[in-house]
Amino acid sequence: MMRLIRDLVLVAVSGALALPAHAEPRLIQLPGNSPLVTIRIVFTTGAASDPANKPGLAHLTGIMLGEGGTKNLSYKQIVDAMYPLATSVSVYSDKEMTTFVGATHVDNLNRFYGLMRDMILYPGWRADDFERLRDDAVNALRVSLRSNNDEELGKEELYSVIYSGRPYGREDLGTVSALRAMTVADTERFYHAHYTQANLIIGLAGGYPADFAARVKRDFSGLPAGPADSFKMPEPAQIEHNHATIIQKETRAVAWSFGFPIDVKRGDADYPALLLAESYLGQHRLSSGRLFQRLRELRGLNYGDYAYIEYYPRGMFRLEPEPNLARHQQIFQIWIRPVEPPNAAFALRAALFELDKLVKDGIPQEGFNETREFLSKYINLLTKTKSAELGYAIDSAYYAIPDYNQYIRSALDNLTVADVNRAVRKHLRSGNLEIVAVAKDAAGLSAELTGTAPTPIHYNTSKPQDVLDEDKVVERWPLNLRTEDVKVVPVETVFEND
Amino acid sequence: MPTDYPNIVALYIVVSTGSRNEVEPGKSGFAHLFEHLMFRGTPDFSPERYQSELSKAGAASNAFTTDDFTAYHTTFSKEDLPRILSMEADRFQHLAYDQSAFKTETLAVLGEYNKNSASPTSKLFEIIRATAFKKHTYQHTTMGFVEDIEAMPNEYDYSRQFFDRYYRPEYTTIIVAGDVDPKKIRSLVDERWGSWKKGSFKPEIPTEPPQDGPRRAHVDWSSPTLPWVAVSYRGPAYDDNSEETAALDAISRLGFDDNSPLYQKLVIEQQKVDTLRADPPNHLDPELFTVLARVKNEEDLAAIEQQIISTAEGFATKPVDRAALDALKAHLRYEFALSLNDSESVARTVADYVALRRNPATIDRYYDAYSKLTREDIQRAAQKYLMERSRTVVTLSAKGAAK
Repeated sequence: MMRLIRDLVLVAVSGALALPAHAEPRLIQLPGNSPLVTIRIVFTTGAASDPANKPGLAHLTGIMLGEGGTKNLSYKQIVDAMYPLATSVSVYSDKEMTTFVGATHVDNLNRFYGLMRDMILYPGWRADDFERLRDDAVNALRVSLRSNNDEELGKEELYSVIYSGRPYGREDLGTVSALRAMTVADTERFYHAHYTQANLIIGLAGGYPADFAARVKRDFSGLPAGPADSFKMPEPAQIEHNHATIIQKETRAVAWSFGFPIDVKRGDADYPALLLAESYLGQHRLSSGRLFQRLRELRGLNYGDYAYIEYYPRGMFRLEPEPNLARHQQIFQIWIRPVEPPNAAFALRAALFELDKLVKDGIPQEGFNETREFLSKYINLLTKTKSAELGYAIDSAYYAIPDYNQYIRSALDNLTVADVNRAVRKHLRSGNLEIVAVAKDAAGLSAELTGTAPTPIHYNTSKPQDVLDEDKVVERWPLNLRTEDVKVVPVETVFEND
Repeated sequence: MPTDYPNIVALYIVVSTGSRNEVEPGKSGFAHLFEHLMFRGTPDFSPERYQSELSKAGAASNAFTTDDFTAYHTTFSKEDLPRILSMEADRFQHLAYDQSAFKTETLAVLGEYNKNSASPTSKLFEIIRATAFKKHTYQHTTMGFVEDIEAMPNEYDYSRQFFDRYYRPEYTTIIVAGDVDPKKIRSLVDERWGSWKKGSFKPEIPTEPPQDGPRRAHVDWSSPTLPWVAVSYRGPAYDDNSEETAALDAISRLGFDDNSPLYQKLVIEQQKVDTLRADPPNHLDPELFTVLARVKNEEDLAAIEQQIISTAEGFATKPVDRAALDALKAHLRYEFALSLNDSESVARTVADYVALRRNPATIDRYYDAYSKLTREDIQRAAQKYLMERSRTVVTLSAKGAAK
């Protein structure tokens, strides 16, 4: 029988920290007896700090460190050195955070940490690494996002439409033309300006030796002291009226995303209430949500339908969210997975119908009870790995809230259905939306969205009368889209130029 | 399997039926359709009640289908284990859905095909399978042929037959990992599942005749993409009594991992390729050793294909580097340990192997074979499997690009 991992949970979060500037690196520790050690190094900088004419620079700088060589070692030498340890450093970045994460068996901690430290503190800035990684970034945009993943493309475009003209409107990966104009010197400049102690959060978890944290802190104190990035951003523009963007692309089905900014983030008074509403309406990748039940289970419209109050990239590949994607501004979003074209307009209307019902009628007491019970236990699954637990602890420090699980559980205990429904009415709405579709017949879809004819669903089986009655209402659900509110965008222009 | 990760329990129920079992023409995709139908309720637990019980347990529940098995997995707090084990026992023994629910679920499956269809690799794998296999059911992916998916709504009766054949104790393994007491679990399982009746069905899976020469195919992709090339060889079935499974796994890594000479040359130095990876065969029946590359420029496609072929087939003529094999063995040990980072991963790992042998001891035998693997073993496996006669090459590029 295999040997199972021993892992004691001795949780100790040091440095309960508020958002303002820091004199020295923040250190978050979750020591334990596990033979596995996780290191998360987070810099609170990202695409929101990209220079206006260089979108994608924060991301490119991150991968230059995480997927390039150091002063002393080429990238090949790093890969060779890590191979026997079965370790690597992953890097990902978003608007306000750039994260380097790695895990190692404690046997190899010294070797692994030495490599990871040098990658972050002593980057090699080699031209050949730069060429390769810039190519990767361009292809991540042009091929992986634009060509091969309609759902993620729609979601990313939604953010870029909602935050148009603002720092958050810049796609994390940038634009193709901006990436092509970048130089290795740009990434070096970004690094020196933003990889500072004031922006640094060091996270350690697992069975590392007692003196390890002090060593890491000492090593990273070689970074410049400051300044810290500021994320005091302009408010997103008010959305007046509904707007739709249809990305025209050769594709089988129609992918939808729609939403609007909300003035609620982790730590705000209404966050737990909205989290419960999100779960009730569309818990990510589970079948419990109202949208999933009404669109997929009842009507067979697609593979799934979900709701979000926080940024959740790569949701098609993940069942639980990645930590360290913290943001000062969030949107409410509904994700409708690809729908057969004849039912596409109906699916959008059905989601709007459910959202409208939620806002007008609120969550019933029974639905509230069940969702609260669900969340108070499910919250434990979000931190089932040490790496996730460490990531959440870092986010909690950033948002200046207590341990996330405790924060949510105690808030849920005190929540009433009236609280949730008040928060829903205050923050959610079924109009003044930005809507994004990825579709082949953009003109046909646009005509359906702006026309007066109903867009009925096409079934392959009989349905109960109450469903058919509801369908009659859904198929005529007002979209309030005028011709001038619908924009058709050829896919090859999306994220191409600034 | 008790672990020291507190409070959480991961339950995996593995049914040893996958798309491999879809032997009748026109019925591909049924194992996967069944994965969906299992959420359609029983006389005692309507889908709504089942869902509500899961919600009260704060459970994350899902399922997936492979060529060889279907797995139903639920992760939740330990106090809910008896309730969830009972519910699972109920649906595995008393699943009941009507025509209408069946037809609606077939649409969700079509929706899944649709959401996958934006990715060129889904299509690439469809064509690799269809080209390399002519008789064996591995000729289709787990999703099934699209024409069979579109015809599913009319196959209600067949779906009941499928359930009757395969949703039986002799096909099923229950895996529980987490903060649990094995004795209590054993008695709970006996109590809730003990009366489940064995079936008698044994599928006749067609044997694929030996491949008699190289094959190739090309996919015209209708939207812009970088071109792909896949080089596949017919390999052996998973076998923990021989070194062949481990030897081909070693070739997939020594030949194509990030630190391999070919990866370093094509991805890091020349930068002509941005994705390179190899998947060795690890199936119940003989399947494929496949190398996959995404190429940056169409004009390099043929040359990259040649380099992949000479690297793979080169293992037959030249023994591997001793130090590289030692580094790989160290890598494997730590990779395995690092992968068991929560109870769910432990259960998932065991599920993958149990599907192959219905006994977790196969993990030990497999890793034992790996630790004893020699350079000669690797060379012999390459000579036997990685040869022109059993090779299939599939390329994919945007329509209108040069082939």
